Amino acid sequence: MSAPFPACVVRVDDEVHTLEGYQRGVPRWCTGCGDNAILAAVQRLCRDEQLAPERSVFVSGIGCSSRFPHYMNVYGFHGIHGRALPVAEGVKMARPDLHVFVSTGDGDCCSIGAAHWIHAIRYNMDITVVLHDNQVYGLTKMQVSPTSPQGLKTRTTPRGAHLEPLNPLTVTLGVSNVSFVAQAVDWIPELLHDIISLAFHHKGFSFVRVLQRCPEFMEGAFEPWVKDPSRTLLLVHKDGIELKPNLAKVYRNQEEHDPMNLHRAREIASSADPIPVGILYRNPDATRYEDVRKSERLYTADTTRAVLEKEFDKFTIWPAD
Amino acid sequence: MCDDAMSANLLDPTVSDQAVRRAADSRDESVMLDLHPAMLARYKELAKLRYDYPLVLSRGDIGGEIVQSLSGIVDSLLQQIAPDGIEGERVRKHVLALEREIRALAMAGTNGSLSRLWELAQSNLLARTDGGGRAALEDSLTRARTVLALDGEVIDCNGETPAELLKHVWDTVESDKARRFRNRVDRIILGLSEILKVDFMKSEDARKPERLKHSVGTAYENAFDFEAMSQLLGASSRKDTLPRKRRQRIDGVLTTLKSQRFFAPTLADAKHTSGAKSHSFIFESCTRALAAFEQRLPEMVELVKAITIAELELENRYRESAHDSFFDLFDQNSLRPEDVALFPSYLICMRDDGFNASERTQLIETLSSGLPIKVLLQSDDILEDLPIARGKFSFGKRASQVATTAVGLHSAFVLQASSSHLYPMRKQVVRGLQYDGPALFSVYSGACASAVHIPPYLVAAAATESRAFPAFTYDPAAGPDLASRFSIDANPQAQLAWPAYRLDYEDQEHQRISEDLNFTFADFVACDKRYSGCFAKVPRDQWHENLIPLAGLPVADSDARTDKVPYIPMVDGDNALQKLAVDDGLIGAARRCAELWRSLQELGGINSSHAQRLLAQEKELWQQQMEREVAALKARAEPEVKAPNVEQAPSAPTETSLAQPEAAAEAPTDEPYIETPRCTTCDECTQINNRMFAYDDNKQAYIADPDAGTYRQLVEAAESCQVAIIHPGKPRNPNEPNLDELIKRAEPFR
Ligand SMILES: Cc1ncc(C[n+]2csc(CCOP(=O)(O)OP(=O)(O)O)c2C)c(N)n1
Ligand code: SF4
Ligand code: SF4
Repeated sequence: MSAPFPACVVRVDDEVHTLEGYQRGVPRWCTGCGDNAILAAVQRLCRDEQLAPERSVFVSGIGCSSRFPHYMNVYGFHGIHGRALPVAEGVKMARPDLHVFVSTGDGDCCSIGAAHWIHAIRYNMDITVVLHDNQVYGLTKMQVSPTSPQGLKTRTTPRGAHLEPLNPLTVTLGVSNVSFVAQAVDWIPELLHDIISLAFHHKGFSFVRVLQRCPEFMEGAFEPWVKDPSRTLLLVHKDGIELKPNLAKVYRNQEEHDPMNLHRAREIASSADPIPVGILYRNPDATRYEDVRKSERLYTADTTRAVLEKEFDKFTIWPAD
Repeated sequence: MCDDAMSANLLDPTVSDQAVRRAADSRDESVMLDLHPAMLARYKELAKLRYDYPLVLSRGDIGGEIVQSLSGIVDSLLQQIAPDGIEGERVRKHVLALEREIRALAMAGTNGSLSRLWELAQSNLLARTDGGGRAALEDSLTRARTVLALDGEVIDCNGETPAELLKHVWDTVESDKARRFRNRVDRIILGLSEILKVDFMKSEDARKPERLKHSVGTAYENAFDFEAMSQLLGASSRKDTLPRKRRQRIDGVLTTLKSQRFFAPTLADAKHTSGAKSHSFIFESCTRALAAFEQRLPEMVELVKAITIAELELENRYRESAHDSFFDLFDQNSLRPEDVALFPSYLICMRDDGFNASERTQLIETLSSGLPIKVLLQSDDILEDLPIARGKFSFGKRASQVATTAVGLHSAFVLQASSSHLYPMRKQVVRGLQYDGPALFSVYSGACASAVHIPPYLVAAAATESRAFPAFTYDPAAGPDLASRFSIDANPQAQLAWPAYRLDYEDQEHQRISEDLNFTFADFVACDKRYSGCFAKVPRDQWHENLIPLAGLPVADSDARTDKVPYIPMVDGDNALQKLAVDDGLIGAARRCAELWRSLQELGGINSSHAQRLLAQEKELWQQQMEREVAALKARAEPEVKAPNVEQAPSAPTETSLAQPEAAAEAPTDEPYIETPRCTTCDECTQINNRMFAYDDNKQAYIADPDAGTYRQLVEAAESCQVAIIHPGKPRNPNEPNLDELIKRAEPFR
C-alpha cells in the first residue's frame, strides 16, 4: 500500500551512478583473466539500471572468481567455499528489496557447493547467479575441477583428468522448478552484457554460466572457439537475445530457439561444440520460494524471541513437585 | 380528504361510492389490521420460512464473507454432513429445525453470538423432543456443530439492523486498513531503529567490555578476555557515525510515529506509547465529525510528513539540500488523496427523524467535502410525510431525496436500500466503506411503528418491491461514466414499472384461479394503518370488469378521468381474497412514485428516453438507406454486361529493387584502432601503456593517444590481445628503431 512519494520529493533525488562509481580497488586477477570481462559487463548493467549501491549485494564463495564482491562498490559478502548460494538466499529472504547477485566458480558451485546449487535452482529465489567456469581451480593453482576437460593434466591429475566433465547447463536444466538458464562467453562482451542483463530482469533464480578464460592455468583452452566464430551457436529469439547486425555478420551460426522450449534447451545444452551462447530456458511462472513463504507478519527481535520461547516452553520439563 | 378524492368515476357510482364512503367515514383501522397485501400473504408466518435473515456478522478478512445469512451457513453445513439418502434426510430435517428455532429466537429479540443462539436453540429443541427422537436429534446437531467453523453476532431485521451491519463492515474495513498501516509503520520503525543501532555499534559504548560480555551470554563468558576484545574492536572500528542532523531527524520521525493516535499502538512501538488514547472515529452528527477531522488535521500532516521522511531515509534518498525546505513547507495542502486514504474513515450513524433543514445542508456539505466520511442515514418511516390529508403528496422525501441529491455530487459513493436488501447488496456496502471519499448509505429499516402487524423485514422488502424506496448504488470509483457507476440492478424486476407476481387462490366455488398482478406503491401503503382511510373494501358482488388492478391504470395522465376503478388485492384473516378500491389521492401518489422510478430507470440505463429517441432515428435512417440500396440494386439488375475492369497489377519487386547495398568492405587504414565493442577488458593493453590505451564508459579499450607510446608497444599490445582486436596501423614515427621487423609483425593485424 506504499503511497509513492509526491513528485516534488522524487524530482530532487537525482543522483547519477557512473560505471566507475561501481568500481572499488584494483582487481588482483591475472592480466587477461576473463573475470575482468564479467566485472565490466556487470558494472555496465549496474550503471544502465542505476542500481542503488546500498540496495545491491554481491555474495560469493571462495576462488579467484569469488573475489568479485571486493571489486564492486556495493554491499558484498565474501563467504566460505561452496556456500555462496545459501548465504544469498538468506539475504534475499530477510531483505527481499535488495538486488542479490552471486559470483561463484566451477569449483565453488559444481564441486563443494553442488548440493546447495541443486536446491537453490529448485527454490527459485530472485537471485542473479554468474558461474565463472574456467574449468579449473584457479586460486589454489590448478587442481582438477568437475568441469575440467577429460585428459586435462593438473596438479591433482598429473596423468590427465579421468572422467568426462560435468555439464552445468544440463544439470541445471534437469532440476525441477528451474526458471532461467543461459550461457555466455567472456570473449563476446556485448552478448555477455545482454545475457546478464536478461538474467537480472528475470524474476527468479537466473543462472548464467560464463565460459571464462584463465590464461594462467588454461592457456589457449578456448582459443579454437575464440578464433572460429562458426564454432559458436548463437541462440536468438524475440524473447531472448536479438543480435545486432555487426555481430550477426561475424557469428553466422545461429538458431532460432524459444526459451520456453525446455526439451530443445536440454538438447542444445548437451552440445560442447559448437558452444551454445544465449538464453536456453526461461519460465517466468515458476514458483518463487520467497513468494510462497512471504509473511505479512513483521518479525522484530522481540517477537522472534517471544515466538521461540513459546515453542521452547512446549518442551520444558517441569520438576515434579 | 379521502372521501372527496374517491367519487364520481366509479364503475357503479352508487355501490362503490357507498363502500368507499363507509370505509372513509368510519376511519376503521381494524378493517386494515385484518388485511395483508395479497403478495405478502404467503409470508405471513415469516419465522417458519427460510430467508436471508437473521444475519451472522462474522469476523474475518475483508475479502471474505463477513456478513452471512443463517440459511446460507446452514446450507453449507448440510452440504458437508447430509448426503443424499435416508440418513442425510434425517440430519437435514434436524438441522433445519434448529435453523427455524434460531430464527424464532432472533425474531423474539434474543441477542448474542451464533454459538450462543445455537446452544439455546438446541436445548429448546431437545427439551421439546422426547425419548427415541432425542438421541438422533442430538447426534445430528452435534455433527453439524463440529463442522461449523465460524461465529459472530446474530442480528435480525429490526430498527437496529442498519447501524449494526454498517458498523460491523466498517470495523472490518478499518481493521484491514489499520493492519496495513501497522505493517508499514512497523517496518519503518524497525528500519529506522536499525540505522540507529548500526550507529550505536560503531560507538565506544558498544565496545565496552561489560557490553561485550553481556552479548556473549553466560555460557562462554569465561572463555573470553573482554578487555582485550574491546581494545581489538576499538582499533578496527569505523569512525563514520551518523551526522547529528540526520540522527535528530530520525529521532523526531520515530517519536511522531510512536505517538500517533490514529491507530492502536503498533507491534514495534507498543512498548513506547505515550499512553494517549487513540482517536475515536464514530460520530452522531456531521458537525462533530467535521470538527474532529479539522482538529486532527495537524496531527495527520505530521504523521504523513514523518512517514514520507522515514521512507526517504530508509531508501537513503533524503537530500538535505532539497528536502529540508520541502518538508519545512509541508502542510495540509501537501496532503494528497492517497495520503488521506491512509487514515481511518469517519462513521456517522444518524436517523432522519427530526432531521431539519440545517442538518440536511450539513450532510450535503459533508458529502461534497471529498473527505473520507461515511454517513448512515436511517429512515424508519418513509410514509410519515405522506400528506394525503393536505391534498399534496411528497412521500419519503427525507432520506431518498438526500440520496438522489448526493448522486448529483458525482464524488460521493451513494447506496440506497431497504434493510431487506442489505444482505444481497453487502458487496456494495463494502465497496462504499472502502471508497476513499465520502459515502452515503440511505437505509430504510422497515421498523415503522404504524406497520406493527407486519414484521420489519416484510415492510422493508415491500418498500423496495413497490418502488417506494428503490435500491440503487452510485459508485464513483467504478468507472468514468454513469453506466458503470449507477446501478438499479438490486431491484426486483427492474425492467418493469411495478414488479409482477402471480397470485393463486380459490374462489368461492373452490375453483383455482391464477392471476398476474403487480405490487404497487398503493400495496405498500396498505401495510400502514395510518392510511387505512384511503382504501375501501369492494363487496364481492361488485367485482365488475371495470374494477381493475391499480397497475393497469395508464401511468402518465393523472388528470384523465376514466371509468375504471383501480383496486389492490388483499387477503383477510380467513385467507380470502379481498379487493380494495384506492382513493384518488393515493393514486396520484402512486403515479408520482412511478415517475420517480422511471427517472431512476433511465439513470440506470433502462428505457432511456435519449437512447430510445436515438434508436428511432437510427432505425429510420437505416430504413431509408435500405430502401435506396434496394432501389439501386433493382436498377443494376437491368441486363447490361460491362467488360471487367482489369487494372494493371502492381509490379512485383524485382531482384534489383530488393538487393541491399552491400556494406562497403572496411579498407585497411593507416591509423591504429581497436574494435572497442569486442574488448573483453582483459587489461593486457592497458598494462603495456595506460596513456596510449584507455577504457571508455563501458570499460572497453580504445586508443586514447597513439603518440603516447611507441609503435613497438602498439604491435606488442596487438599480439597480446587475445581477441585480436587491436590494429596497429602504420608507424607514426619513421625514426623508431627496428621498424621493418615491427611492420612485419603488425601484418596479421591489418
Ligand atoms: C572448505 C574449503 N575447502 C577447500 C578450500 C580450498 N579452495 C580454495 S578455492 C578452491 C577452488 C576454487 O575453484 P573455483 O571455484 O573454480 O574458482 P576459481 O579460483 O577457479 O575462480 C578451493 C578448493 C577452501 N578454501 N575451503
Ligand atoms: S588464476 Fe586464472 S582464474 Fe585466477 S585470476 Fe588468474 S587467470 Fe583468472
Ligand atoms: S588487450 Fe584487447 S581485450 Fe584486452 S583490454 Fe586491450 S583491447 Fe581489450
